[in-house]
Amino acid sequence: MTLTHRGRARGCLLGLAAGDALGRPAENLSPEQIAARWGRLTEIDGGGTDDTEYTIFAASLLARHGHALTPQDVALAYRQEIIPLIDGPMKGAGFSELGAVQALRRGLEPPLTGQWHRHGWSDGLAMRAAPYGIFAAGDPGEAARLVEIDGSVSNAGEGILGGRAVAGAVAAAMTGASPQEVVAAGLAVIPEDSWTARNVNRAREIVLDPAGSGGVAARLHEAVVVRHYPWTDLAPEAVALAFAAYLLGGGEVEESVVVAANLGRDADTTAAIAGALAGAGRGEAAVPERWARQIGPVEGRCLPVTAGRHVLDVADQLVEGT
Amino acid sequence: MMPGDRILGAFAGVAIGDAAGWPSSRHRAGVHAPWSRRLHRELDAFAEEHRVTALPVPFALNQPVAPLVIGPSDDAEWLAWTALTIDQDRAEAFTGLAGRDDLRARISVRTALDNLARGLGPPASGHDNPHFFDDAAVVRAVAFGARGLDPTADAQVTNAGDGVLGAVAMARAIGVLVDGGQMGDAVEAALDALPDDTVIGRATRTALAVARRAGDPFGAVPALDAALFDHVYSYGVAAAETFPVALALAEVSGGSPGTAVPAAACLAAAADSAPALTGALTGAFTGHGALPPGWSTTLTGCCLPELAGVDLLDIARGWIA
Repeated sequence: MTLTHRGRARGCLLGLAAGDALGRPAENLSPEQIAARWGRLTEIDGGGTDDTEYTIFAASLLARHGHALTPQDVALAYRQEIIPLIDGPMKGAGFSELGAVQALRRGLEPPLTGQWHRHGWSDGLAMRAAPYGIFAAGDPGEAARLVEIDGSVSNAGEGILGGRAVAGAVAAAMTGASPQEVVAAGLAVIPEDSWTARNVNRAREIVLDPAGSGGVAARLHEAVVVRHYPWTDLAPEAVALAFAAYLLGGGEVEESVVVAANLGRDADTTAAIAGALAGAGRGEAAVPERWARQIGPVEGRCLPVTAGRHVLDVADQLVEGT
Repeated sequence: MMPGDRILGAFAGVAIGDAAGWPSSRHRAGVHAPWSRRLHRELDAFAEEHRVTALPVPFALNQPVAPLVIGPSDDAEWLAWTALTIDQDRAEAFTGLAGRDDLRARISVRTALDNLARGLGPPASGHDNPHFFDDAAVVRAVAFGARGLDPTADAQVTNAGDGVLGAVAMARAIGVLVDGGQMGDAVEAALDALPDDTVIGRATRTALAVARRAGDPFGAVPALDAALFDHVYSYGVAAAETFPVALALAEVSGGSPGTAVPAAACLAAAADSAPALTGALTGAFTGHGALPPGWSTTLTGCCLPELAGVDLLDIARGWIA
């Protein structure tokens, strides 16, 4: 069966939404805690989180501005569509999103808005990078350039690189590249001398070396998890775990997403990234039907401006825009 | 002023400022039995559950009370370790700490030790690090500045970006002061090390401007809080926050530890290290002889147990002699 561009786009965002939803209850848990609670977490129970809603928001930027997107466009969208709708707590926001909002409220402009707070390396950009890969399918460099423009408002340093790696990898997956080629495409758009590249390479070596001692989950954690740091949303860690899960899953949607979710840490984000990569590679029909049924329009719990939108409609709109 | 008095002032200033910040007593309680701190956490939970405003302070139940008297803690101990090891290759010195389970250190240092243990040396050990931006190396840079040395190789073991820039700026400012310079010269030397287009460069210039407008250290406290802190992140030891506070308060106080250090301690979000950095700058300006004599410079070993009972000033005196 020949996969269409539209089918890959829909698979990408449906896979992302499914990963977000599957990983949500496993966020911040260890593989051991997940195993104790679920055995193996394979069934979606409830909706997704910020990952899906921020992805829809990113896609809306591309729908309006396309290749001409500028940091000023992104900052204006935050000022007009996110900040006025924050009523009290900013639900679902990570440190980087709230930090960027505070910087924008202070009157700063990008890229300073992504640098002024301390969470520049968060995986908040990586989690919403997939639309850039869909939009620039087959052109990882352009996907990476576009996602960096989005990220300049909220992220810096390794957080930008995490977004570039995921966008570049999705752009390659949209062409039907093999999982190994997809990961290589993600690595090709970030500097070799970076934390993200070092972590992805370490994780890839573990996946490729089944003879290594110990369980693969434990070895991946040993290789990329920062032990003495209490938060789980480091882009170099999340991107490495997501890429590893995608490779371990052989690029299949269900297996990639399940492996990512069961690795724990920022499980909703890592499973969303793995789902986006696998969904782009295998198409909409490869997303398990029992998962697809659970994915409805988002509620706008984190970003009210996205309320009512469905990832499949967003995917169609992205395809029409290219 | 006696020769070397400004070096002693920089070291004593760190100890006094370290002691003045509220986190110090919590760090010092680290020498107590672990169950003591577990009770502390349970009291915190009790206060939350019962909605009582009595926040627990470190206490000694069947434990020695000496650690809980006012005194220096983490910053002074890591400065002491730096001074004692300053002639060693920096990666080697830190590698000597890797694998120890009796240390307490900033997240940047703990992560760097893990990186070194897995064979990842500087600068990656400080770069592949969630707290590359913290001020661990800025504190250590007081020793390098006092010796007129470049702190970059030391800073890069545990930090990157603003964390390294802050260390260089601190060392240069301290270097100017121990050579007899004025506080204005020290401020200029620090600014020269901080490019405008970095967050720490911009934050430092902003802090100096708002403190000058306020006109005095205590009056500058709310303006510094508004200008520098977004109160979003969880750990108040970012070099781009604490160093600007210290430099601005040191300048606006005219180099007076007695007004600058208490003002730094009022900024709760930065009180772990901003008072110590402020003490270093103002103490290096006034010299040790002008510092209030009642403040202890004796370490408890709460971060580096082998330093328990060591007087930080004895280490500095060893250099001067």
